[in-house]
Amino acid sequence: MRPKHLFSVREISKEYMEGIFSLASSIEHNPKDFANICEGKILATLFFEPSTRTKMSFESAMLRLGGQFLGFSSAKVSSAAKGESIADTFRMINSYAHIAVIRHFIEGIGEIAQKFASIPVLSGGTGTQEHPTQALLDMYTIHKEFRKFENLNIGVMGDLLYGRTIPSLLFSLAKYDNVNVHLISPPALKIRKNVELRLQESGFSYRMTENLIDVIDDLDVLYVTRIQKERFPDQTDYERLKGAYHIKPEDIQNAKDNLIILHPLPRVGEIDYKIDEHKSSRYFQQARNGVWVRMALILKFLDLD
Amino acid sequence: MTDENDKLIVRKIQEGTVIDRIPPGKALKVLEILGIDSNYPYTVALAMRVPSRKMSLKDVVKIKGKALTEQEIQKLSFIAPTATVNIIENFNVKEKVLLKIPDHVEEFIDCLNPNCVSNTHEPIVSSFDIVSKDPLILRCTYCDRIIEQQYLTRKL
Repeated sequence: MRPKHLFSVREISKEYMEGIFSLASSIEHNPKDFANICEGKILATLFFEPSTRTKMSFESAMLRLGGQFLGFSSAKVSSAAKGESIADTFRMINSYAHIAVIRHFIEGIGEIAQKFASIPVLSGGTGTQEHPTQALLDMYTIHKEFRKFENLNIGVMGDLLYGRTIPSLLFSLAKYDNVNVHLISPPALKIRKNVELRLQESGFSYRMTENLIDVIDDLDVLYVTRIQKERFPDQTDYERLKGAYHIKPEDIQNAKDNLIILHPLPRVGEIDYKIDEHKSSRYFQQARNGVWVRMALILKFLDLD
Repeated sequence: MTDENDKLIVRKIQEGTVIDRIPPGKALKVLEILGIDSNYPYTVALAMRVPSRKMSLKDVVKIKGKALTEQEIQKLSFIAPTATVNIIENFNVKEKVLLKIPDHVEEFIDCLNPNCVSNTHEPIVSSFDIVSKDPLILRCTYCDRIIEQQYLTRKL
């Protein structure tokens, strides 16, 4: 059963998630079959924080389904600039659109949606909390490549503290048994205590290291994230850590043949441009998969699947 | 309230609250969360590190003219879970309240995450689930952030 809204991947079961992958795969292989399903439907894109991929791929997804979209891409051009509450934004959008996607720097707004939104609302990322639709496209990309999650060795590297895609990805992987996850980060950017606790509660174990070299030859998937300047309360900490993880071709010369490298993008120096042509790079395909997965999500949450 | 010969040296109170079996050293914090300071107009007796049969050492607080609210009792349960609250009327114990850490609390403390929606002007109140009682761990219902004993003791 689908939840009313989607603000955390913890709200959906493994089976529901696999249903999204299966629908996304059908759409990817036969996009024309889905071209008019959302005719007459409107997607509202409420972006209180900058976005390129999430916003555009949701808009592209709705257009490809025959629907339309409206919205804004900055808090400055919405009534939030006048002090309007998120609750009132939801109450208003109920009459303007059939489904909405929201990105906000405030965390925990899923509960506000639960109380005040009558149309389905999908999170396009909330603060440092979660980015569920990104995790779904990450998981779809891994599944497309390996057809399984069990017994894969997955390295998750970079800013695990502030990156909102990280909790969502780990909570998604935690739905499966025997996934070998290596968290690779400097001690100052380790996963947050609440994420650690959630993983512990679901019986999910992982290993932690500071160096990619310790694990690179075991990995099937290397998921790299950006050190996020905008999340650091102290900019001197950012300057100290920003260059800590920069992958060059020589860093992956001992990697397995089937290694794939993923990144939610944007990258700011974490992956050398020379890696783009490497057989392991998948981050641009990953971004493209976002369209299929978001089309599937729109259909699922509008009950048109 | 006992001397070296274990005899009571503080008089009974007529009306008010006696909080017994407070973990040693926590009595001052108990008074702080009950809002009792130098301006409190009635008698307050406080004993720290008194020998106790059940806990070897304990603190005790007697407050004349004070009835505890539900929220104060809830706060006490986090700071002094071993304590018992005796409601006194006419020099006698009218009711004995055993403290119990609840499974969920609302409007109790602010979330420590400045970006949590409960710290904004939205029409909601702060809300936490207690995910562990020993060690004490609270989880914000909205942003999922964790509050541990140390932080809670500072904030209450």
